[in-house]
Amino acid sequence: MTQTLNTIDKAAMAVSGFLMVLGIAVLGIVEILAGEPYGAAAVEQTNEAGEVVNTIYPAVDPTIRTGLVILGLVILLLWGIYKVTSPIPGEEQARTTEVPSD
Amino acid sequence: MSYQAANPLSEEFSLELSGPLAGYWLAFLRVVTGWWFFHAGVTKLIEDGLSYSYAPIYLQGMEGTALGPLPVWMGNNLGWLIEAMVPLGETLIGLGLLFGVLVRLASVFGAFFMTLFWVGNASFGHGLVNGDLMGLLLFGTMIVFATGRYYGLDAIIERTKFVKNRPRLRYLLG
Repeated sequence: MTQTLNTIDKAAMAVSGFLMVLGIAVLGIVEILAGEPYGAAAVEQTNEAGEVVNTIYPAVDPTIRTGLVILGLVILLLWGIYKVTSPIPGEEQARTTEVPSD
Repeated sequence: MSYQAANPLSEEFSLELSGPLAGYWLAFLRVVTGWWFFHAGVTKLIEDGLSYSYAPIYLQGMEGTALGPLPVWMGNNLGWLIEAMVPLGETLIGLGLLFGVLVRLASVFGAFFMTLFWVGNASFGHGLVNGDLMGLLLFGTMIVFATGRYYGLDAIIERTKFVKNRPRLRYLLG
């Protein structure tokens, strides 16, 4: 079932890959450059009594980053559905060869 | 034994997809991923049957995520279905991967589960890439490499006349 990639295939791969790498790695670099917290979640600073005195939020909201990744995954899912539902070259030929010659 | 510095993959332990090591490793990944989900599902079935009540509670707690109101709505309105489908779905996905049956279809559902776990479980204190995202990527790997074709029943199923006459099914098998 070897097939060459058409424009839709290439676009789906490019856009989904771009969105996922943007969400995970590129914005991750932005977070590192922006300073603490280096994780993707807010960090609570406490005093000696254990009371929260300050909360440091990440430079990029993790909701945005996960949203970009999920958008990339949704594009991959839609691409998969497109591939399953679109005709495959040679499919009809495969069906016709099933018919006995006699 | 010669060694090509320019192409270390060209030796007999080639990692080409057609090579024996690639098939062995992909099958191993599939079985371990399958066991992971099968274990998670079947133990829920043993303990709670088809009434895994934590599932809708988990979804109801997913407020303010990138998935918007969808998981909370599912938790509030589809609780009866979620309670049954989480243990059943995990078990079936696990069985599919363990035996290599309908691996791509099972992995799509596995990726859906892992997306909910990734977004819902994590506080991302150690960054966005965590075990749940890795699990999600594992299911992506199952789909891309069609791992059911390596020591899996999909390899046999795909050789049947039924599938050969309907090559589109290979997008769900494999």
